[in-house]
Amino acid sequence: MTTDSIQNLKGGYDPFADTGEDEVGNNKVQEGLIHIRIQQRNGRKTLTTVQGINPKYDLKRIVKACKREFACNGTVVDHAEYGECIQLQGDQRDQIKKFIADVGLARPELIKVHGF
Amino acid sequence: MKDKHCRMVPFDPNMKKKKKKKKMPFDPDAGTAVDGEVEAATDGAPSTPVTVTSTPQEEVPDKIEDDMSLEFGGLKKKKKSKKKILDLDDLGESVSNTDNTETPKNDGGDDFSDDFSLDFPARKKKKNRSVVFDQQDDDDEGGSSSKLKEDIVGDKTWSGTDRDYTYDELLLRVFDIMREKNPEMISGEKKKFVMRPPQVLRVGTRKSSFANFTDICRLLHRQPKHVLAFLLAELGTSGSVDGNNQLIIRGKYNQKQIENVLRRYIKEYVTCHTCRSPDTLLQKDTRLYFLQCETCGSRCSVASIKSGFQAVTGKRAAIRAKTT
Repeated sequence: MTTDSIQNLKGGYDPFADTGEDEVGNNKVQEGLIHIRIQQRNGRKTLTTVQGINPKYDLKRIVKACKREFACNGTVVDHAEYGECIQLQGDQRDQIKKFIADVGLARPELIKVHGF
Repeated sequence: MKDKHCRMVPFDPNMKKKKKKKKMPFDPDAGTAVDGEVEAATDGAPSTPVTVTSTPQEEVPDKIEDDMSLEFGGLKKKKKSKKKILDLDDLGESVSNTDNTETPKNDGGDDFSDDFSLDFPARKKKKNRSVVFDQQDDDDEGGSSSKLKEDIVGDKTWSGTDRDYTYDELLLRVFDIMREKNPEMISGEKKKFVMRPPQVLRVGTRKSSFANFTDICRLLHRQPKHVLAFLLAELGTSGSVDGNNQLIIRGKYNQKQIENVLRRYIKEYVTCHTCRSPDTLLQKDTRLYFLQCETCGSRCSVASIKSGFQAVTGKRAAIRAKTT
């Protein structure tokens, strides 16, 4: 009969825990987030885009590493609104997510994967 | 998703019966049919303690009996006498066992159970708890006559005796009463939120149709416009609702993929972020969307729908021709 036998006291989900969003302030969160998206091309081909990597990193070098790692092609595209974005050929969402987290470009909770 | 639900939904009545069983240990129909199902579904929750325990072997069948139907009147007596010998170890072991068995189960659930049916692990917890509870009765009653124990019902172990109540007993009692009075209060026993699976068909070669789109929007109590915006932003395509209320999306998508996106939509825009109840309202207030929970009354802002960076996938020549 410890506290963990009573469900309410046991913190399965703590509503007061930090979500990681509030610390930085709401505006900065949007900037800190890295969005990984997927787009369908013709046929069964897809394109993975990565938006929001901190501009202090050299995206070209990241792409170079990614290309080698995932065995796919990729480029850096400069977008007026969203800054520099990475495009990779094929569905690299899981791999790029793991890559970003492992290399330490962003904390894993800041990476947001979109798409199906 | 569908079969998951099928498996989960018939759980509710079972658990209630289970609770009742705790109170009337000799209820004959609480036993066989129900127990078999629960046992199978929980992947042998009672068998886990078996592997962990270091107490003598005779203890093991007792524990299972606790879980299984208690109709074997004769065996029960025997159990009690054994319990008296083992009592302290038993309690310690069983408490630690509940800990052991709980942890993997919480991880075990997949995404979906994490979102909507968190009651799955919670129920198991409760089940374990009932086991512990039974044992503790035995411990506490250790000195008093076992005959008395036979006719008292579940949570009123102290009714005949004049000893002091232990804190744990009182705590349990108050929680049991609370659970009885309002079963919805505990997240583990709240009403199920059942989603119909989306029907996604291929239209031609490069378009998909989401046939029951408006039905699902109605089910979620969300405006089709909002759901549509989210779907298209997430999938990074274009699409529209056609004449007979189906959504036509450009690109090839199958049901599983749409289901994933819908699940994400529900997580963000339908379920309350605090209590996870699906009973919420989405209100627009000064250009921001707020999610107002009808159950717990919380109100929080939700992320706006943004499609973000879109790579050029179409024909560049066509785009260039359009802009100039």
